[in-house]
Amino acid sequence: MFKKKNNDKSKIKPKGANLKPERYKKNKFKFRNIKIIGIKSGMDIPFMLLVLLLVAIGLVMMFSASYPNAFYLHHGDSFFFIRNQVIYAIIGILVMFGVSKFDYRNLKTLHIPILIISFIFLLIVLAMPPINGVRRWMQLGPIGFQPSEITKFSIILSFATIIDKNFEKMGTFRYGILPFLMIFIPAASLLALEPHISCTVIVILLAAIMLFIGGIKLRWFAYVLTPILAFLSYLVLFTNKLTYANSRIAGWLNPFDKSSGVDTWQTRQGLYAIGSGGIFGLGLGNSRQKYLFLPEPYNDFIFAVVCEELGFIGAVFILILFATLIWRGIVISIRAKDRFGTLLGLGITMQVGIQIILNIAVVSNTIPNTGISLPFFSYGGTSLLMLLAQMGIILAISRRSNLEKT
Amino acid sequence: MIKGSTIRMRRRTLIVAFVTIFVFFTILSVRLFYLQIISGSYLFKMANLQQLASTKLSPRRGVIYDRNMVPLAQSATVWNVVLEPNYIKTDATKELISQGLHEILGTPKEKLLELSEKKSCYTIIEKKIDSDTKNKIVEFKSKNNITNGIRLIEDYKRYYPKETLASTVLGFTGSDGQGLAGLETQYDSVLGGEEGKLVSAKNAIGTDMPYDYEHMIPPKDGNNLVLTLDSTIQSIVEERLKKAIEENDVRNRGAMIVMNPKNGEILALAVEKGFNPNKPFEISDPKDLEILKNTPEEEKQKKESEILFEKCRNKAISDNYYPGSVFKIIMASIGLELGIANEETNFNCTGGIKIGGDTIRCHKRSGHGPLNLVGALCKSCNPAFISLGQEIGTKRFFDFYKSFGFHEKTGIDLPGEGSDIFFSKNGDMHLIDLAVASIGQNFGITPIQMATAACAIANGGKLVTPHIVKEIRDNDGNVIQSFDPKPRRQVISEETAKRVTAMMEQNATSGGVKNAYIPGFRVAGKSGTSEKKDLLVPGEKDYIASFLEFAPANDPEVLLLCYADTPKGRSYYGAPVCIPPSTASMNEILPYMGVQPQYNEEEMKKYGIKVPNLIDKKVEEAKKISIDLGLRPTIVGKGETVIRQTPYRGERISLGGNIIIYTDDSSEEKVKVPNFVGLKKSDAVKLAESLGLNIFASGSNGDDDTVSTQSLAESELVDKGTTINIVVGSGESED
Repeated sequence: MFKKKNNDKSKIKPKGANLKPERYKKNKFKFRNIKIIGIKSGMDIPFMLLVLLLVAIGLVMMFSASYPNAFYLHHGDSFFFIRNQVIYAIIGILVMFGVSKFDYRNLKTLHIPILIISFIFLLIVLAMPPINGVRRWMQLGPIGFQPSEITKFSIILSFATIIDKNFEKMGTFRYGILPFLMIFIPAASLLALEPHISCTVIVILLAAIMLFIGGIKLRWFAYVLTPILAFLSYLVLFTNKLTYANSRIAGWLNPFDKSSGVDTWQTRQGLYAIGSGGIFGLGLGNSRQKYLFLPEPYNDFIFAVVCEELGFIGAVFILILFATLIWRGIVISIRAKDRFGTLLGLGITMQVGIQIILNIAVVSNTIPNTGISLPFFSYGGTSLLMLLAQMGIILAISRRSNLEKT
Repeated sequence: MIKGSTIRMRRRTLIVAFVTIFVFFTILSVRLFYLQIISGSYLFKMANLQQLASTKLSPRRGVIYDRNMVPLAQSATVWNVVLEPNYIKTDATKELISQGLHEILGTPKEKLLELSEKKSCYTIIEKKIDSDTKNKIVEFKSKNNITNGIRLIEDYKRYYPKETLASTVLGFTGSDGQGLAGLETQYDSVLGGEEGKLVSAKNAIGTDMPYDYEHMIPPKDGNNLVLTLDSTIQSIVEERLKKAIEENDVRNRGAMIVMNPKNGEILALAVEKGFNPNKPFEISDPKDLEILKNTPEEEKQKKESEILFEKCRNKAISDNYYPGSVFKIIMASIGLELGIANEETNFNCTGGIKIGGDTIRCHKRSGHGPLNLVGALCKSCNPAFISLGQEIGTKRFFDFYKSFGFHEKTGIDLPGEGSDIFFSKNGDMHLIDLAVASIGQNFGITPIQMATAACAIANGGKLVTPHIVKEIRDNDGNVIQSFDPKPRRQVISEETAKRVTAMMEQNATSGGVKNAYIPGFRVAGKSGTSEKKDLLVPGEKDYIASFLEFAPANDPEVLLLCYADTPKGRSYYGAPVCIPPSTASMNEILPYMGVQPQYNEEEMKKYGIKVPNLIDKKVEEAKKISIDLGLRPTIVGKGETVIRQTPYRGERISLGGNIIIYTDDSSEEKVKVPNFVGLKKSDAVKLAESLGLNIFASGSNGDDDTVSTQSLAESELVDKGTTINIVVGSGESED
């Protein structure tokens, strides 16, 4: 269905253009109605509503998942976590609407400074004292954040800019591969040094998707993937250097085997939570696993609490919301007026999509455990703020996209 | 559009979108379906296992009541103090709590600090604190605003309100409330109840989760025991026995059994020395402490447990002893029952009897001369009973031995009942064995077996089952089970029993134990002295003194067996050692049980006066009672009510004897005990009266009027009014 629609549009362009005004009149009418309650016209309302809905559900679930920890470990203050999150969500939504009004094309000129800033942060964070053995967190005054969040965005931005610029020459190594490698290799290396494997994986996937959409020759994937796969096979088959990774894999395969010496507590507790939910769940607020069994249930494993409280039905409903959001993001991007907008929108949408998929895959023990937060749900003010700002960019793209008449 | 996405871009986007949205989201949905729906119930169960913690709820252990519902053992609520280090957040709080608990409980502060550092949410730091201490902790908590970290958990502690009373019978419990001795062991399952459970949802650090998930299985409190034991009789008997043990320097403890011969109910069972079940592991007896002090360090612990074990041992049912002359009542019964002998059967005692190659001596070396069976029993003549035994023969002897229940356990509901030791398992015995067995020697039985066998004589021939628990009742007072065991069998005919009783009554009226006679009551009795083979000191002869009596002879209500192991005092014979405590006890027990004695003037003069209880009475009233009875009261102190008296209630003293009534703490000057031995009885009484002492004379031979022994040593310092038992005539002639 999706495919057909796209084809229709690309094939019968003038006809489509003729047809659209009527359709958008209706939309406009809707917009006017909404205008009354103060939202600027021109942006994609379904996407905006999806974002707001997810933020709202995310906050409710975050509160539910966090209050036992807040109560027991923060002197009975059940609102310890949610208070912060709500403040950031409100700021984030304002920022989102603000960003949506800016012309995203200005970002093209900012891609190099943003890239440089992100590298500087990546270098600074390596000099920070490690927390739990890793250097991912940076504190700038009252604001703490992960530089990797900026890295992801700067990669999306710079890739989109360069692909847009070199679009006609994407088939060549010099323009289609080399500039991207120059950005990507140091970024991925610095992330791996933190170490932040999950973010490295996200960046790799993101880069690959953007280059793929950007139009590089498919053989390049073969060139890159073959040696990587060969090296990984070598490590797995002939060395035991990947003991950390190996024990993760052992824990992944047998999360209930407590004798292996692998700490699978979090995975196990997550699975208990998901399983306890059954079809209909224990009801909102009734998770038992969040009572200090599941470590930091408001963080990476929040989806386990969602599953426990809302059941399979609720979990799938949220998955559908996520899928719809991604779909809508892709639609907005693909209909952007310019290629840069398309690439930027797809990059942001795919980043969110990858994180959602990887997070839920980790929580459900579909892939080995690695730290990935769930967009809109996991605790973390700055990351929510940045996510909403990026949603603002997609809304900005939607204002100028072909979804709209002017 | 032209500037926007190209066809290739769109195609590739489409691929990405399809993979992301359809493939991955489908995979995740399927995965969730598997986890939540297919293995959901398994994971839910596993999660429950870790979330639901059960807390044990202690049941209240049942009360042990005596037959009049006087509680002898009960459980009081106490508290366990639990430290919950996981809830103590700051070092300052840790310090505060440790200091506070140290002050209240006395636990070393360093230890508390160390415990509070542990990763735990349940550490018992003190068990079974009383409510005073508990209140102190509660106050400490509220004063310092401590809501978490210290928890008080209800528990029960066994408490014996009568302290040492009937300790050997009751036993005691361990720290977890489990019975460790006596009835507490025997009826542990009845008293113990069933543990309850509080299943509640707990978070990972063990505190309750706030959602409604609690399931309580309430503990089932233990049932209560109602004993046949009477605490009044028990305390009478214990007091008398204790006194006798002290006065006669009994080295290896003693016991007293009081039974209802009709149904086997144990009315009292005293063992000296017992222990205090409230502090069962404490050794407080100075003699024991002395022994412990002189024990080398490495053996101290062994010695200590030996002493504790010995104290818990129920001598009345676990010990094996030779019954001695008391067994002659059994021999007489067999003889009468078989028709071999009757009261008038003649024997001739020449001071010894030859069996095979051995000669067995009578205690009266010169011999009793010709005497009939009644005379033989009253004089406790050995040769007479040996020749009766030879008439009976080994087979019939063993048959009756078994029939009287000596070869089986009585089945008393107390732990640790001993068995007999016979010459051989199948009853084979030599004639010489039969000869010594006829006078109660060389075979071991338990005191409870002897008492039970004697019950058969008292009750018309039925062998009863001695028992101490009358009923099991639940907490609402409903009787769940009552015990009234049927007699095991008819051992001898009612007629034989009556005839033997008559002989025993005569023994107590005019025979060897006539000082056991209580004016107004028809007492039947027989004393015994047996040689011990397992000697305490090699080379020295050790004896067991015992005395058995029951009353009233026409319809016995009470049977009493007194038994002293190794008396080393003035006398080791059954009569002088065991009759005074037995008689003094009977003298109180019979009126207490509603058998009122009727004295005549002559009897009063002859047998003395039973000292009444004056304690708690007004001085004037006490004085009047004493004078009315023909006693001479001396009032000491300025109080209004009597707080102490010498002699004690129930003791027997001569008419016109002294009674000292104390009304406050002041005490009369002590008196030196004079020497009575060698004096005429009347002179001894006069001497005692002049010194303010009392005399109670016992003796077996009316012809001889000189005092042979006295219960308290010469020049010992005693309170005025103390009773001194003297034996008139040759005290050795009765056995």
